[in-house]
Amino acid sequence: MKQKVLYLFMALALLIAACGGGGGDATTEAPDATGAPSSGPVVVRIGWSGSPDTLNPGAAVLSESYTIFELVYDSMYELNLDGTFTLSLAETADMSEDGITWTFKIRDGIAFHDGTPLTAEDVVFSYLLYQNTEGYPWMGSYTSYFENIEATADNEVVITLSEPIPNIESQLVFLYVLPKHIWEGEDPVEFENEAMIGSGPFKMVEYRQGEFVHLAANKEHFLTPPKVDEAIFQTFETPDALVQAIKTGQVDMITEMPATAVATLEDDPNVDIYVGAPFAPTVTDIIFNQIDPENCPTEEEGGICTGHPALRDRNVRLALAHATDKQKIVDIILLGNGGPGLTLIPDGLGVWYNDSLTDYEFDLAKANKILDDAGYLDADGDGIRDMPDGSRSLTFRMNWPSDSVDGPRLAELLSQMWGELGIKTELQAMDPDALTAVCCPAFDFDVMLWGWGSDPDPSLLLSVMTTDEIPTGSSETGYSNPEYDALYAEQAVELDFDKRVETVWKMQEIVHDDVVYVIPYYDPNIQAFRTDRFTGWITDEAKIEFSDTSSLVVIEPVK
Amino acid sequence: MSRSQYILKKFGWALLTIALVLILNFFLFRVLPGDPARAGVHDPRLKKESIEAIRVRYGLDKPVINCFETLNPVKVGSCSVNPLDTQFFIYMKNLLSGELGISYHNNRPVATILAERLWNTILLIGAGQILSIIVGAFFGMLAAWKARTSIDYGALATSLVVWSLPTFWLGIILLFWGSANGLPIGGKATPGLSSYPLWEQWKDIGRHMILPTLTYTLVYMGEYMLIMRSSLLDVLSEDYILTAKAKGLGIFQILRDHALKNAMLPLVTIIAINLGFTVAGAVQIETVFSWPGLGGAVFEAVNRRDFPVLQGAFLLITVTVILANLIADLMYSYLDPRIQAE
Repeated sequence: MKQKVLYLFMALALLIAACGGGGGDATTEAPDATGAPSSGPVVVRIGWSGSPDTLNPGAAVLSESYTIFELVYDSMYELNLDGTFTLSLAETADMSEDGITWTFKIRDGIAFHDGTPLTAEDVVFSYLLYQNTEGYPWMGSYTSYFENIEATADNEVVITLSEPIPNIESQLVFLYVLPKHIWEGEDPVEFENEAMIGSGPFKMVEYRQGEFVHLAANKEHFLTPPKVDEAIFQTFETPDALVQAIKTGQVDMITEMPATAVATLEDDPNVDIYVGAPFAPTVTDIIFNQIDPENCPTEEEGGICTGHPALRDRNVRLALAHATDKQKIVDIILLGNGGPGLTLIPDGLGVWYNDSLTDYEFDLAKANKILDDAGYLDADGDGIRDMPDGSRSLTFRMNWPSDSVDGPRLAELLSQMWGELGIKTELQAMDPDALTAVCCPAFDFDVMLWGWGSDPDPSLLLSVMTTDEIPTGSSETGYSNPEYDALYAEQAVELDFDKRVETVWKMQEIVHDDVVYVIPYYDPNIQAFRTDRFTGWITDEAKIEFSDTSSLVVIEPVK
Repeated sequence: MSRSQYILKKFGWALLTIALVLILNFFLFRVLPGDPARAGVHDPRLKKESIEAIRVRYGLDKPVINCFETLNPVKVGSCSVNPLDTQFFIYMKNLLSGELGISYHNNRPVATILAERLWNTILLIGAGQILSIIVGAFFGMLAAWKARTSIDYGALATSLVVWSLPTFWLGIILLFWGSANGLPIGGKATPGLSSYPLWEQWKDIGRHMILPTLTYTLVYMGEYMLIMRSSLLDVLSEDYILTAKAKGLGIFQILRDHALKNAMLPLVTIIAINLGFTVAGAVQIETVFSWPGLGGAVFEAVNRRDFPVLQGAFLLITVTVILANLIADLMYSYLDPRIQAE
């Protein structure tokens, strides 16, 4: 009996082993790594390191989800790589004299992927869904100005705003139009939307979370029917695998790669590398806690405000700016792939970026002189400068999120550079949640290294420097300047485009003068594609994003 | 103690351990810093109302347990709330009714996510385990039989080297080697083959399994080889083996009928323990080869504060480890009847 059990166990083990081995054997033949036979559909394979969090456009947070939404859905406007907008679902858009009422005419003959016509009803349904679902993280902020939304005809949508806004395009561009007949009756948050019926240039074939997204071309698309037949996004969890995958042709394009891999691929005759601002530009920032005790959020709001008083002095921030060698930071952290930053508004925002400003040059002597003149001397001779009244030394806590790859290196570099000035920094990485807890609205820190992702419209990033955002937790610096606040309010209702640009440029000048942040660099996106597979990728715009609709609908296989 | 008593006792301990782990799991994640409703999202577009709605949806607005609103930061609350309306009891109630909740991050039921991932992990790690057991045990036997010859020393040195290789590093090396030889280096299957015939799909999965399975086998076979070798050496020095040799039995017969069964005990222990951890997945191997398994899911859930997925995964892992140990305990009593007598 005992013996039988043992033999049974061993026999079972052998049996399973045989099966496992069999699987291995079958693999030695036919190394058809990329699938698709030459006569079959034209498939473009894209490697990326992420995966959508959900296919529900309201509930999604990750940019990978938005990449897929852009391909499968349509919205009123299309955002172009140069930062401008063009009409997409709408044939015409008319604003009333007072800027309150917008009338959109929907193009004729647009259908969802399941053949149902897309009408004004679907548009209204989608906008109301986004507006009324509290569990959607972002959508509430894009619909907050909508007072009334209604379909006045089969192909006409009228939106009434609570006040005139200059950037309705950037509010509408992420409000994807969903088919009412599918979403009606579903729980708006819990609906997984796996079939993902949209009207965009690509339609969903199969989605495997964390593995791949398989799309097929919608050759009937009213605006941009793709030239390829299918597009497949495949997830590779390590950068090494991603780089190897394009090197060996398992994918045709990769949407991101570490700067350290550039050298590996540069010599490959079949691979082209491009560096540029990503579709949603991101900024890395050095945050100074400069909140005035008078503006400290109340205890109820969570204010603690323990920031070092020296950082409230513009002279100290200016000296730190002069002591920060941005070029060295770019050379070491980005390996030269990118350029120094200026203000919180990144160059990827195109026309909104104020390129007339001159940055504070790297000049240690000047930095030292500024601190000397302002009275920050080393009173006790310990090598660290002290406050003019001698109350405490210039020792700053410096924190960064522990999930940041570049954080430790940036902190190390800054610590060295600022150390030359006689300023001491205490470095500590923190869990992103813990960092949020000390950041804002607590203001329980001195210096922080973090970053922002940008909207296509500058309003979002400009808002984080306004006084109003101090208690909400969006302001990380506690910066407060009535002149700036007034300009922010002005640009938010300025309907004249050129005037608004002028105001936005003025605002950047003010925060640059006040040294609210030091921006070491704008995060570049490094992408690569195989030149022997597809041609036509768009490489000459302000932003470089090969996974954007603009490229994916025009690329063609190499003949 | 009779066999049934022995088994009953073992079952009792297993159940108690599972219950304790369930309770521990709950508090473990609640003392982590941070608010899962924000999950590190720091964005002015995230409105207060949205955060509140997310909290309500996942029951995070309720007190953790009587007397405590939250555990990190520790916030003392009312002790007189209805215990059935605390996160702890809702968690227990849901678990007992088999409800694992909805992922904070993916908006999908945890049970669905884990089921998908579990199957992938069993496929990969199962194949790796079985291969490493067979290869390891075989070379262990060979080394023991040919003790103190160059075969023995060669096998010994090889297993020590592969056993001490860092898994991640070995994986990357094999990834470079494999991709240069036309092997797929990421994922479980080539995307877009779902319309192909089934055997083509299986062949494709098999190709994707080669590199991760090879990594796994190399890393784990050393351990099995060393244990098999030393335990068989012990047995081979026994008098009854000498007797068997004297009777003129062949090598194979001595090994099969006299030595192996006695030498199996330590190996069964290790196999049982490792089988339990199989479910946990080999996080590193799954990450290097982008294998959509449980290890990767746990890794991602930790980063995103996805408590429901973590709780579910930990539950699954605990139960399998305990079950595997229980099975090992029961196997002992068959392999060596002295054990149940204690």
